[in-house]
Amino acid sequence: MSNGIGDSQYWLLEERLQRRELLKRLTTLGILGSSFGVLLSACRGGTTPAPTAGQPSASEATPGGGERPFTPTFYQWIINLHPDIEKGVNPDFAKKHPIDSKIAPVQGFGIERFVAEARDKNSTWDVYIGMTPFVEMAQLVEAEVIEPWDPYLPDDVKKDIIPSILEEATYQGKIYNWPFLLDVIVLGWHAGIVEKAGLDPEKPPKTWDELLAAARKVKDSGAAPFGCTFDAHGWRSLAPITHSISTDVYTEDGLFDFTSDAAVQALELMKQMMELANPDVLNPGKSDAGVNDTPDEAAFGAEQVAYYVKYQNAPIRFAGVWRDPSKLRLGALPSGGEGATVFWNTGAALFKWGKNKEIAAEYMKALTYDERIWAHSIGGGREAVGQLSVYQSLWDAWRQNPPKWMQDWAFFIVDQLKVSKAIRTHKFGLTQFVIGQPHWEKYFKGEVRDPRQALQEARDAVLAELKKQGG
Amino acid sequence: MVERLASRAPFARADAALQRPRHRRPLPWGAILRHAVLLLFCGIVLFPLAWVVLLSVKSLPDAYTNRIWPSEFDFSHYRYAMTHISTLPRNVLNSIFVTSMTVALATVCAVLAGYALVHLDTPGRVVVFSLLVASMFFPTRITSLIAVYEIQKQLGFLNTTHGLIFPYVTLSLALSVFIMRGIFETIPRELADAARIDGCGPWRMLLQVMLPLVRNGIVVVIVVNFVTAWGEYLLATTLTNDQEVRTLPVVLAAASGGMGQWAWPRIAAVYVMAVAPALIAFAITQRWYMRGLQEGALKG
Amino acid sequence: MVVLARGRAGATARHWRESFMYRFVTSWPFLLPTIGFFVGWQLYPILRVLWMSFTDYYYLRVGEPVHWVGLANYREALADPLVRQGLLRALAFTAIFLPGMIVIPLVAAILIDRVRNQRLATIYRVILLIPAMIPGPLIFVLWKWMYSYTIGPINYVLVDVLHLFTIYNAPQWLGDPDLTFLAVAVMEWWWGLGYHTIFFLAGLATIPRELFEAARVDGASEWRMFWSVTLPRLRPILLVLVVLRFGTAMAVIDEYLIFGGFNRALPTYTWTVYMWDLAFQLGDWRQSYAAAVGWIGALLMLIVVAFLFWLFRPRD
Repeated sequence: MSNGIGDSQYWLLEERLQRRELLKRLTTLGILGSSFGVLLSACRGGTTPAPTAGQPSASEATPGGGERPFTPTFYQWIINLHPDIEKGVNPDFAKKHPIDSKIAPVQGFGIERFVAEARDKNSTWDVYIGMTPFVEMAQLVEAEVIEPWDPYLPDDVKKDIIPSILEEATYQGKIYNWPFLLDVIVLGWHAGIVEKAGLDPEKPPKTWDELLAAARKVKDSGAAPFGCTFDAHGWRSLAPITHSISTDVYTEDGLFDFTSDAAVQALELMKQMMELANPDVLNPGKSDAGVNDTPDEAAFGAEQVAYYVKYQNAPIRFAGVWRDPSKLRLGALPSGGEGATVFWNTGAALFKWGKNKEIAAEYMKALTYDERIWAHSIGGGREAVGQLSVYQSLWDAWRQNPPKWMQDWAFFIVDQLKVSKAIRTHKFGLTQFVIGQPHWEKYFKGEVRDPRQALQEARDAVLAELKKQGG
Repeated sequence: MVERLASRAPFARADAALQRPRHRRPLPWGAILRHAVLLLFCGIVLFPLAWVVLLSVKSLPDAYTNRIWPSEFDFSHYRYAMTHISTLPRNVLNSIFVTSMTVALATVCAVLAGYALVHLDTPGRVVVFSLLVASMFFPTRITSLIAVYEIQKQLGFLNTTHGLIFPYVTLSLALSVFIMRGIFETIPRELADAARIDGCGPWRMLLQVMLPLVRNGIVVVIVVNFVTAWGEYLLATTLTNDQEVRTLPVVLAAASGGMGQWAWPRIAAVYVMAVAPALIAFAITQRWYMRGLQEGALKG
Repeated sequence: MVVLARGRAGATARHWRESFMYRFVTSWPFLLPTIGFFVGWQLYPILRVLWMSFTDYYYLRVGEPVHWVGLANYREALADPLVRQGLLRALAFTAIFLPGMIVIPLVAAILIDRVRNQRLATIYRVILLIPAMIPGPLIFVLWKWMYSYTIGPINYVLVDVLHLFTIYNAPQWLGDPDLTFLAVAVMEWWWGLGYHTIFFLAGLATIPRELFEAARVDGASEWRMFWSVTLPRLRPILLVLVVLRFGTAMAVIDEYLIFGGFNRALPTYTWTVYMWDLAFQLGDWRQSYAAAVGWIGALLMLIVVAFLFWLFRPRD
């Protein structure tokens, strides 16, 4: 049933209001006559969300109950990967404020519905939890869908956010993203396979050459059919590998500089990795319009490959299906010079036309500091997803006095932040990689001999698309 | 009478075949080959479904290998699936609601229109019918999508379950009217004339005289619209966003998001739970279903 | 005749009954629901999209004036390599998909039509129809597994059972541009087999038995009977199926969104996906241009449909 945690009386009122409004619009339109009104009433009756039994009553919690309850909406995977949100955080919060939590399956980062509502100066929801700055923040800001958190973000929380993440969450000088879940691109490996290949499973390759040599040894020794793998989407492989060489790879217009030397080197490295990878590595994924459930995950889950370049939650989740998940090891991305990588957080956006903004801030604080989420995410065993907190104070406390669910790799990944850099926020932050990918893949497929030329084509295609879209 | 003729037609061949004297041959190679090919077809149809049932009871490590028979079974995925999609019952209800409303509305529309096009002296019927038929050959679903989105927004139907019904009804409307018109044409005009002379108004004629005669055609229209609405994806993803207002297939298709994060046997468990009821319902109702389909197709 | 005998009062009534108003008032209420839906959710949207295609409308540009730009979008779209490539890709898929979607069910129907055991024939029909009962998106999820490189049973058979390939060179059904359309087509055949078989079975049932008997007496072979008796009789059904499936195949989008996403290198990025991408995803959502792309695709399809009608025209 719905996650609706609200007052049943409130729901009835809301329903009646909506129905009246709907009927009014229909009659004025007068397309189909009055028979539809009857039908519509019937429809509304059929879809009335049933109030969840046993929830605290809103009229007790909020005075002046004419307002709607606080309404956050989550990108679906967040609810799925962090079940304590529905089981723990929301029921606890409902004791203070009524909350009506929704799930927004925004297919492949689609944000069309948010934008459509904002055009009418309207929003069904108060916050969207699932925004990644470089992916959609610029678009949401420019379409005037969201507004800055600054007036609502408590100072102590703001100071507590790890500085590089706060910088990522900022656009045009304002904080548009309340950070929540941290992901860093790292190297994961299967200790069992590595050991079988005669390598030291506790000593990760430090450079890309070492990685390639180790991966070749895995493949040649027959310890596993494939040596290494990566996710072909640019923001998960090309960008981080480029950052490991240099982070000075953004053009003045804020786009990723495909034609920088670092990007060219990264592309050459990826081609070398491909020879040691599962042959379907470039295939689209099975969900979210090809973006998720990708072939690298399947190969790593099937214990067919030793080394894996991706954000930490991928190796952690897919080691969960191994016969022995304890064989997973995580380490820094091999260095190509600068030794950096890519990180991003997935956090919350505050809808400009939403309501309950103070409550939203209160909720976000409660959500992001809730230890149950981190205990499950880090210490959940086979169910662990490995996404991490963005708050310095939590990490300081955990370091001094590690809870029993804590895992060593968590500290290690947070430490990676010192050398990581986010992909620059831009209206085409994600789109540039989607459009560029087929062009740079021509180099992988041998259709273009020169990696620089392939990347130049990628850049040209992105610029052409930008132009088509009117800048 | 017409109805009886029509319903007998598909089976008349088989009856005739049974009565025909058979050649006495020890081995009917033709029949063996025929059944072999048909069994192969059936096997190809059933294999993927059997495979997915098997996947839903594999242990996690087994599910990520390509061996078909698992070394270890794990039946816990069903419980996991049931307890991890909080909106699942809601989505099932949404699907049933949208599908039944669509089927009901489209059927009523098609019956009324088919009747008016054939048995009433309707001015402009040629134009209306031509437009409807022309729309069948036009990629309306794709081309109109942008404006349908706009209309739904203006009507306040975006992100509502009931809002989906309106575009859904139109998806197979032209085809439904086309089928009903064909069925009504099998009813002799003399019958309508006779009824009219007896002082029977157009509504009474439809309800009391015609409706019993077009029963099987209505089954076809129901079938066509059921299939359309039950599995619709594009409009549902484009026009709705909250998971609790979406229909079952859209939520279950890993394509719509979060389930892509799930281990495969768990998705398979949801899959089996989603598909099985429709298949069971189909197995029970297939008798009428077949008859309706065949008669409807006759008019095609 | 009876009416004529009713005298003067009857005559005025007849005048009223024959008047346009009477005919209109008594018949159009029956058409109204259909026309309401048809105009509201099909005709108007199509025309609205047509209008959009002549403007410079961007969905996300709130408050900016919209201008009439004439044929500029069409000119740009016709010169856009993605549009041309998208249309060619859709045609390529149609060319692979359409013959199989007609021939395979036709074969199945002819075979089932000759099964003498009534019960067995029903069982065959029911089994073949099972996939039609499964919602589209779930079909696609299922076949993504079938085609999976890692766990897919198809590659398992090719690699581990038949040893035709190794784990290093096995076919990538959904990643290899040369195989993708075949893979999608096979899935569609699987999905539509039963439904189309039923269509053909119904068509076969309308052929008078005597025609075959006569042909057999004349010593015609089965093959010859198929060409000279069965096929001509099936022409109307063939026309309907070919035209309808042509329309489906050219305008496929759900499958492509799920199989290929927005990767422009994959064959699944056809004009329909490009249109969706432009209208609801890229930049400021240039729906005016997307509308032009949609209309170009639609017009091309109409031309081919007209050709098909000409091809299947009655020739007696």
